[in-house]
Amino acid sequence: MNNRPITTMQAVAVIVSTIIGIGILTFPRFMAEAGDSGAPMVTASGIFIAFIGFWFTASVCRKFPNETLFIFSRRLVGAGLADFLTGLIVVFFAFSSGITMRQFGEVCVSVIFKKTPIEAVILLMLLLGCLSIRRNIVKFTYIHAFYLPLILLPVLIIILVSLKEIDVLNLLPVTGNQLTPRKFTTGMLTSASLYQGTFILTLLVPFMKKPQKVMKAGASALLLIVSIYVLIVIVSVGMFGAQETLLLFYPTLETARSISLGAGLLERFDAIFIIVWVISIFTTIFSNFYMAAYAFKELARFQDHRLVASFLLPFIFGSSLLPDNVFQTYDIASATAMFGLILLTFYPFLLWLTATIREKRGRSA
Amino acid sequence: MEDWKQKYLSFKEKQNKQQFSASPAKEVKLGINLKQNLQDIQQVLGEDGDLVVRQFQLYGRQDAAIIFLSSVVDENQLHEYVLKPLMTEPEDISVIPSAMDALADYIWNMTVHVAKGGRLSELYALPGTIIQGNVAVLVEGMNQALYFSLRQIEKRSIEQPQTEQIIRGSREGFIENLESNLSLLRYRLQTPDFRVQTCPLGVRTQSQAAVCFIEGIAEPRLIEEVLRRLSLIEADSIIDAGYIEQFIEDQPLSPFPQVQPTERPDKTTAALLEGRVIILVDGSPFSLIVPALFNQFFQTLDDYNERFIVGSLIRIIRLIALMFSLFFPALYVAVISFNPELMPTEFAVAISGGRAGVPFPAVLEVLIMEISMEVLREATIRLPQMIGGALSIVGVLVVGQAAVSAGLSSPTTVVIVALTTIGSFATPAYNAAIALRMLRFPLILLAGLFGLYGVMIGTIFIVNHLLFLESFGVPYMIPYMPAKIRDMKDALVRAPLWWMRQRPSFLNAPDPTRLARHTPQTYTEKIFTEEGDLDEQPPHNHDAGRGGHR
Repeated sequence: MNNRPITTMQAVAVIVSTIIGIGILTFPRFMAEAGDSGAPMVTASGIFIAFIGFWFTASVCRKFPNETLFIFSRRLVGAGLADFLTGLIVVFFAFSSGITMRQFGEVCVSVIFKKTPIEAVILLMLLLGCLSIRRNIVKFTYIHAFYLPLILLPVLIIILVSLKEIDVLNLLPVTGNQLTPRKFTTGMLTSASLYQGTFILTLLVPFMKKPQKVMKAGASALLLIVSIYVLIVIVSVGMFGAQETLLLFYPTLETARSISLGAGLLERFDAIFIIVWVISIFTTIFSNFYMAAYAFKELARFQDHRLVASFLLPFIFGSSLLPDNVFQTYDIASATAMFGLILLTFYPFLLWLTATIREKRGRSA
Repeated sequence: MEDWKQKYLSFKEKQNKQQFSASPAKEVKLGINLKQNLQDIQQVLGEDGDLVVRQFQLYGRQDAAIIFLSSVVDENQLHEYVLKPLMTEPEDISVIPSAMDALADYIWNMTVHVAKGGRLSELYALPGTIIQGNVAVLVEGMNQALYFSLRQIEKRSIEQPQTEQIIRGSREGFIENLESNLSLLRYRLQTPDFRVQTCPLGVRTQSQAAVCFIEGIAEPRLIEEVLRRLSLIEADSIIDAGYIEQFIEDQPLSPFPQVQPTERPDKTTAALLEGRVIILVDGSPFSLIVPALFNQFFQTLDDYNERFIVGSLIRIIRLIALMFSLFFPALYVAVISFNPELMPTEFAVAISGGRAGVPFPAVLEVLIMEISMEVLREATIRLPQMIGGALSIVGVLVVGQAAVSAGLSSPTTVVIVALTTIGSFATPAYNAAIALRMLRFPLILLAGLFGLYGVMIGTIFIVNHLLFLESFGVPYMIPYMPAKIRDMKDALVRAPLWWMRQRPSFLNAPDPTRLARHTPQTYTEKIFTEEGDLDEQPPHNHDAGRGGHR
């Protein structure tokens, strides 16, 4: 078979299913906090910041269509610095998958699986991820692309069904009440930190049929994600009003709970939603875990990443157990996301800068 | 008794003398001494009770002998077409050449009336030739042997395949004999491009295996890969096609079959025409279709023979049945023991009422019932057919009813278990159905331990595994993933035949078109006028409409 089998559509699918994950449950609360009734606008504005990091990543990857970022970064900025930053990437992605899993564990335990211990919820998912990672990047792409419809469908159903319950007054003024530049910037950064995950395409580029289209793929994926997030924010803020959204810990779940389909056909829509949402969490964790394992393999110059995955498992599990309670979990999660935003914006920027200045290029595909 | 003792002794003697095989060394050629040659052959085959060595006078003037195994040779034909002409003294004796080479030619050209055969001068090859059902003719003074194939093996008649019943379609099934199976394929595929490549497999059994494909439709790389994998098999024995299947599949540790066995020649033909490769082996009524994908296991020929709407609906029903057999008991356990609030209230009350007297937790109850169901199913297969029906009635009615009244299980559980079992029998491919049926047990356990979350994790694991699988380099979940829009026409639904103008794209057939572009889809022109009189229509109107559509 072809050794560059990944299509542009599949690349889009990978990015979308990587980014859509746990964030969607709490997202409207953060946005309402930052923008009040202007929450949808704040949500949409995050794309600009998210796009900067993505643009650098994509354009530097396009220059080296045959290698992953971890390889060519050594030639660009020197092995020492490159390895150090790769190490940071490993730590970030490993920690990030742990903390994501913890967040999901908290949701599960408080909403539906009340009798299941949180450690079991986390460990089961991490084991599943660990076993699934032991395959190559093409299969990794297949998994994402296969699950994408199952991720988009429940979100779209929630949005469509709850549209009729929206009170437009709750969304006015569109710019929000007393929106200060400071609050707006914080909100923008928060939303941008939730859109990250585009970095995953550094793994895909060497296997893409048309590596030059990576920019298009990422951009359309980001647009798709932002429109879904904006719709979710519109729905929950429009339904509850900004001030009430602030009081809800999982506004998206509350939205799901307050809708009903038909005459009591599905009474506990939020439970069904959480069960289906396991898939979306799996794809997110799978991506992060894969990225961490793959980067570690490159860092240590191993032949393949399969064993690395098993060794990373205890660390990821440990990091997911670090926070003491659900509030601390969210604080740590936000801090991690912010760190990731900085790292994954400036590192690609650094690489792009050196590549442009030194006019280095890889062989074209 | 004396006879047996002698055989035993000579057997022992041979065991002591030679460690391995009785065949003479490779270099040994046939001599010109008839007696010596016969002795050498008898040394190899001499103990076989069905070996016949018949000495006679060739054309009434020369010592000769025929050797054959009476169990595999058609003796009537032997008498008529070999022995009789050889023993008859010709009227004009002068036409018979005296030089040995010329004599062999004369026998071959003028005397023996058998189509298949040949000549041999190597002694070591002769026993093997005889075993395959050839009659060897040895002549005093001739350093070569002639052999003629008069093979006749007992075979059963062609019957309806037992494991793959369909409503609408051919009633013929493969039998054990390779030649008959090939003839079943040949008469369905009357194209000179149909290729059959045979070679013996299994060092001891020497089973003839045949690789069949259609040249110009099957991809050469696929054929090459099949032949390569077959050539790597160095087994002692190939008893059945199932042996080959296990040697050539991509991922032997997977529960899912990556090679599709079928008893149906029509199904095999359809697979050949899609560009797949077929493996047949002598002694097995199953042909193996490669590559085999997940999609194939819930398709039957019925889908294609029926009109497409009906075919598609039935196919969807089958997929639902397949889902039933995998998820139903696990979902039941998870909902009952962890999330009863997901059920409508009245139903939850009814279920808990039924479960009131049951002492076990739901997971144990379902496991017990599912395992006893599997036991029943297995027992029904083993039992003679006359008793089988009786047992299934006893099993299903009596045991089910008794289990409920004895408080072993709730009525709902019995319903669930029954649905699961019936659902798994709706899957046309027996081996795929078994894989899914067995996978439901880990799912039940996960459901009992972690509730719906466990079921979800188990499902993701199974789906991931399916996405990882490949069959001869083709991803197992094609056309769903990687998505092939063109092949979706024959996946969940079966599109109209005139819509599927091309062969499956993932098989890379060199000639992808299977339906000419101008094949009409609908006939709108009126043949009969209002009066219903055909003759008044001008004849050219018939043809004008035809082929005019797309």
